[in-house]
Amino acid sequence: MGQGTPGGLNRGGLPGDRKQDGSGKKDKKFEPAAPPARVGRKQRKQKGPEAAARLPTVTPLTKCKLRLLKLERIKDYLLMEEEFVANQERLKPQEEKAEEDRSKVDDLRGSPMSVGNLEELIDENHAIVSSSVGPEYYVGILSFVDKDQLEPGCAILMHNKVLSVVGLLQDEVDPMVSVMKVEKAPLESYADIGGLDAQIQEIKEAVELPLTHPELYEDIGIKPPKGVILYGEPGTGKTLLAKAVANSTSATFLRVVGSELIQKYLGDGPKLVRELFRVADDLSPSIVFIDEIDAVGTKRYDAHSGGEREIQRTMLELLNQLDGFDSRGDVKVILATNRIESLDPALLRPGRIDRKIEFPLPDIKTRRRIFQIHTSRMTLADDVNLEEFVMTKDEFSGADIKAICTEAGLLALRERRMKVTHQDFKKAKDKVMFKKKEGVPEGLYM
Amino acid sequence: MAPDPNRTAGGASGSGTTKEGKDDASAKKKVENEDLSDEDLALKQQLELYVERVQDPDPGLQKVALESMRQEIRTSTSSMTSVPKPLKFLRPHYGTLKAYYETMSESDLKKYLADILSVLALTMSAEGERESLKYRLLGSDGDIGSWGHEYVRNLAGEIAQEYAKRQSEEAPIDDLMELVQQIVAFHMKHNAEPEAVDLLMEVEDLDMLIEHVDKTNFKRTCLYLTSSARYLPGPDDLLVLDIAYMIYLKFEEYPNALQIALYLDNLQYVRQVFTSCDDLLRKKQFCYMLARHGITFELDEMVADDDEREVMQDIINNSKLSEGYLTLARDIEVMEPKSPEDIYKAHLLDGRASAGASVDSARQNLAATFVNAFVNAGFGQDKLMTVATDSASGGSSGNWLFKNKEHGKTSAAASLGMILLWDVDAGLSQIDKYFHINDTHVNVGALLGVGIVNCGIKNDCDPAMALLGDYTDKEDSSLRIGAIMGLGIAYAGSQNEQLRYKLAPILNDAKTSLDVVAFTAISLGLIYVGSCNEEVAQAIIFALMDRSEAELGEPLTRLLPLGLGLLYLGKQESVEATAEVSKTFHEKIRKYCDMTLLSCAYAGTGNVLKVQNLLGHCSQHLDKGETHQGPAVIGIAMVAMAEELGLEMAIRSLEHLLQYGEQNIRRAVPLALGLLCISNPKVNVMDTLSRLSHDTDSEVAMAAVISLGLIGAGTNNARIAGMLRNLSSYYYKDTSLLFCVRIAQGLVHLGKGLLTLNPYHSDRFLLSPTALAGLVTMLHACLDMKAIVLGKYHYVLYFLVLAMQPRMLLTVDESLKPLSVPVRVGQAVDVVGQAGRPKTITGFQTHSTPVLLAAGDRAELATEKYIPLSPILEGFVILKENPDYRED
Ligand SMILES: Nc1ncnc2c1ncn2[C@@H]1O[C@H](COP(=O)(O)OP(=O)(O)O)[C@@H](O)[C@H]1O
Ligand SMILES: [Mg+2]
Repeated sequence: MGQGTPGGLNRGGLPGDRKQDGSGKKDKKFEPAAPPARVGRKQRKQKGPEAAARLPTVTPLTKCKLRLLKLERIKDYLLMEEEFVANQERLKPQEEKAEEDRSKVDDLRGSPMSVGNLEELIDENHAIVSSSVGPEYYVGILSFVDKDQLEPGCAILMHNKVLSVVGLLQDEVDPMVSVMKVEKAPLESYADIGGLDAQIQEIKEAVELPLTHPELYEDIGIKPPKGVILYGEPGTGKTLLAKAVANSTSATFLRVVGSELIQKYLGDGPKLVRELFRVADDLSPSIVFIDEIDAVGTKRYDAHSGGEREIQRTMLELLNQLDGFDSRGDVKVILATNRIESLDPALLRPGRIDRKIEFPLPDIKTRRRIFQIHTSRMTLADDVNLEEFVMTKDEFSGADIKAICTEAGLLALRERRMKVTHQDFKKAKDKVMFKKKEGVPEGLYM
Repeated sequence: MAPDPNRTAGGASGSGTTKEGKDDASAKKKVENEDLSDEDLALKQQLELYVERVQDPDPGLQKVALESMRQEIRTSTSSMTSVPKPLKFLRPHYGTLKAYYETMSESDLKKYLADILSVLALTMSAEGERESLKYRLLGSDGDIGSWGHEYVRNLAGEIAQEYAKRQSEEAPIDDLMELVQQIVAFHMKHNAEPEAVDLLMEVEDLDMLIEHVDKTNFKRTCLYLTSSARYLPGPDDLLVLDIAYMIYLKFEEYPNALQIALYLDNLQYVRQVFTSCDDLLRKKQFCYMLARHGITFELDEMVADDDEREVMQDIINNSKLSEGYLTLARDIEVMEPKSPEDIYKAHLLDGRASAGASVDSARQNLAATFVNAFVNAGFGQDKLMTVATDSASGGSSGNWLFKNKEHGKTSAAASLGMILLWDVDAGLSQIDKYFHINDTHVNVGALLGVGIVNCGIKNDCDPAMALLGDYTDKEDSSLRIGAIMGLGIAYAGSQNEQLRYKLAPILNDAKTSLDVVAFTAISLGLIYVGSCNEEVAQAIIFALMDRSEAELGEPLTRLLPLGLGLLYLGKQESVEATAEVSKTFHEKIRKYCDMTLLSCAYAGTGNVLKVQNLLGHCSQHLDKGETHQGPAVIGIAMVAMAEELGLEMAIRSLEHLLQYGEQNIRRAVPLALGLLCISNPKVNVMDTLSRLSHDTDSEVAMAAVISLGLIGAGTNNARIAGMLRNLSSYYYKDTSLLFCVRIAQGLVHLGKGLLTLNPYHSDRFLLSPTALAGLVTMLHACLDMKAIVLGKYHYVLYFLVLAMQPRMLLTVDESLKPLSVPVRVGQAVDVVGQAGRPKTITGFQTHSTPVLLAAGDRAELATEKYIPLSPILEGFVILKENPDYRED
């Protein structure tokens, strides 16, 4: 049961160790719990064990002996911590104790538990809760619940009979966002990209290098770019390049499609964007890739429907996050779109996404490369002369070339041939071109 | 040693692409030619031609080919992410050229080729081959920078490796050093001081730096050196600091040189700074710096003029500290005295707290006494102690005084000393009346008060000695303690021989009671702090050996090992002989002594091994009621507080101790946290302490409460104040805890927020030994809160006075009169190793002096009209008119 971490347990040291100190004065039946050290009604989410576990930042960024020494110092301390903890575990295994406590807590909680909503905190130990179905109840809060983390409106676990608060559901990370994290690196690598050398270099400079070698930028005394936008005709390899970046980088890669940011309920879209960037910051260094940004990033004009306005608000939040009110040094953004001209200029103004990388249709040489890449694993008959396709004056995109190759392969397959012939390619090309021109046969309107 | 940073840096921008390059080299070998653009193809063919020509028998052709090849490489504009084209195309021919090189006969051409091979090796040479270096040494010795930065970096990395290898083989290194010379010159000219320093550290020849620094880069170089020193293992750190000192001296940047001299605790160097500088005004600034550090220093023939010397000696003796502090107070308008109630702010709490306020009024009055003393420290006026004397002089003097019971009166009388802190004349005359009251407790307080007033102030008439000297041998042991503790505070760090003759015999007199011996040991420890004085050490050791087993178990006994430890404060290895002796002590005290000695000797060094050692002791399970884990925990803080990183990491480690440790450890952890973040309320530590202040173990809670006071000391931090207020209502029935809460409240408003307890000063570079000694003494006493602080020795809290200093920037003009100028105050930024002229502070606000500086703050002058005589704007700073300034 991962989500409902009762506070007190892992924070206040060993509860088992705490003997009631036997001084007569305090021998009451019930000792009111210590008041939480809270200032307002707000919980401070970031504080707590995770924040404490963060390592101090090390300056300077330049690779030098001082930095090495400092990092070694941190390492030394970490090793000592490890040694100490290992020692202690050997002396008196924490696990068992924790296990014991946990089962005790589980007993108290009972099961099943119901999920409810905290409506109002009355005092240190009582609250008004509501469950999804019924009325609101005035109930007690069990002592092991971390009261610092409770705030009106948060999701809580309740005892199924007496409905007292027995735990707290921490929606630390929106499940929507955790899905976006690319866990398994895509297979496409830089080597699978034909041509686009300049684009590759540019994206490396703008995205990867600032994460791996921030000192280079510091040496010169400039701030590295925040991110890039990839634009160009459909099928020119924008998504492909992003995949290759994800493949090669060791940074966290978060991938979203613009349309995912459009949500059903008001305010959910902007919230998702905010959450996305917060997660990116937590997992930094990280790269956020938003494909088809035009879904949310179109020019602002008088919106007619609430839905459109909501989309615009989502974009405004995106702008805000790109401006990075909180410094997001280690988060880089890659946007991709087919229609850069329709994007809101505010999105592209210097300081936000000021590096625009164009993906042109492939030239002859690139075409050749792309053909090579896509045919490299096909068995071609001897008569195949790819040059013919490479040299045509038709406008091909990378995706078209891929389609041609696939189509040719399929044709061969249909006839149970082991090899793909030149004829197959020819047919495939016509077919692809035909489809591309939306059913208008080639040459009709010439 | 980990791989050389240069090496990684060198490989950095190339490495990613090198791999990739290899990939496509093999994968698309066939298509390579087709893949290239026309210009690339041309270039490639061109280069191939050159390669062929180089092997031509005709030397003329060879020369032309080499020349052109060189030209191509040099002019190629390299990109950050890929290997320059010419190098890429020449790669396949590296082997060929290398083979051909071997066949060539000695000639200029051969050298020429070696040069090119050396560059090619940059991307080709296998790891560990160091071919770039090899060919460089064989080559023509031309300008090293002409091949670009990357090449030089790579070369530097290879030199470091080669040096290590030759060192182990004891091979000559002259040729290497020749090259180092060139590289260092190159780096220093191109804003890459860290790289130059790194290389020189690798080849162990930092002296070379001195010839290469110039006016433009020495500051950055020295900053890098001094920052590195914190993290270098000894004795390298001393070497590095020595060089920095020399460089500063060379460029007449005396204040910085003085800082290093103080850091090294090298009085020889301090003298040298004084004699090298011949500007009187600047020397006065040095005096202010010495005064802040709190060391005793006699100016002699260093200053020729008698009058001037007197003025300067006065500065060193801190005679003007009170005046400056009051100037600050008047400027900030906080002269109005505050009563303890103003601090408690009980009206902000609801009902129950005020209702229960009257329990155990003696203890509450005692708490109020301390609060009053801490809050009004140094202001010369308050609402309890000084007022009463004015209204009804003589007989009824000290109404408040007599609201305290018995030993409470001691602290009450002594609090007058705190209120009149640093103001010796007024202080002595006001305390004088307590000597005439026929009440021993009051007399004891008076003795202590005299000591407190004189804390950090040296005076030629030695009033403290004159007044207290006679009492050290009195019959009554409490009188003796008062006098001895007073002397210890007044003469801390002075190494006063006269006092040693007076006090040392007390230690070894079997008839003296244990508490007197304990306080004598501490006082001697304070007076001889960090001196490694043999005689004092002997005396304390004998005392420890002579005492009976029962006495060794007494709570106050802990002060004896501490006194011994203070003698070696920060002196590292010097402690070893004594530590050896401590092994022979009775087992009751042996380990306690070991821990104390270790932690004191390595205090402020950041020595990771010692932290590990101390942590190791904390991870053991105790059964025989040993007490040494407490000092071990505090020791971790003492050692780790040296630098920011260690400090943060130590906080993490302490968190673990809290989780796993047993009660005696958990009781010490809050104190350790208090020391680490003293007068620096970090939010995470505040939260931890606030959590612990509700702990079910009352001693953990007490320590946490006191530590809340320590981390907020002198900050007026509203959050801590609020926490403490809530605690005061939470614990309204528990007098002991309430007492601690009150003390903490007093500390938070220490000097109405004008004072700090931080022993680190001057940009957190220097550690004042006496300040640290005072803090540690108080913390050790807090290890047994119930017996010492809550018992009848509550006046140990006054040891904190040793660490009290105004946290101010006070600018004075050339005649040392306060001068108000605008300054920017903001969060300090670490600018080490950064290029250009980066901002040293962020989020600043402009104020006019005098101003308060919080922990981590830094100030800079916001006007060009004056030039500060010290680059570190803290404490007293003399301003000189800028002759080039023009009003506009
Ligand atoms: N330069 C290229 N090299 C190799 N394949 C390409 C290239 N450009 C496009 N492709 C092929 O086209 C497909 C679609 O490209 P994609 O990157 O999704 O286009 P878009 O630019 O619309 O995002 C890719 O999966 C890839 O197989
Ligand atoms: Mg796409």
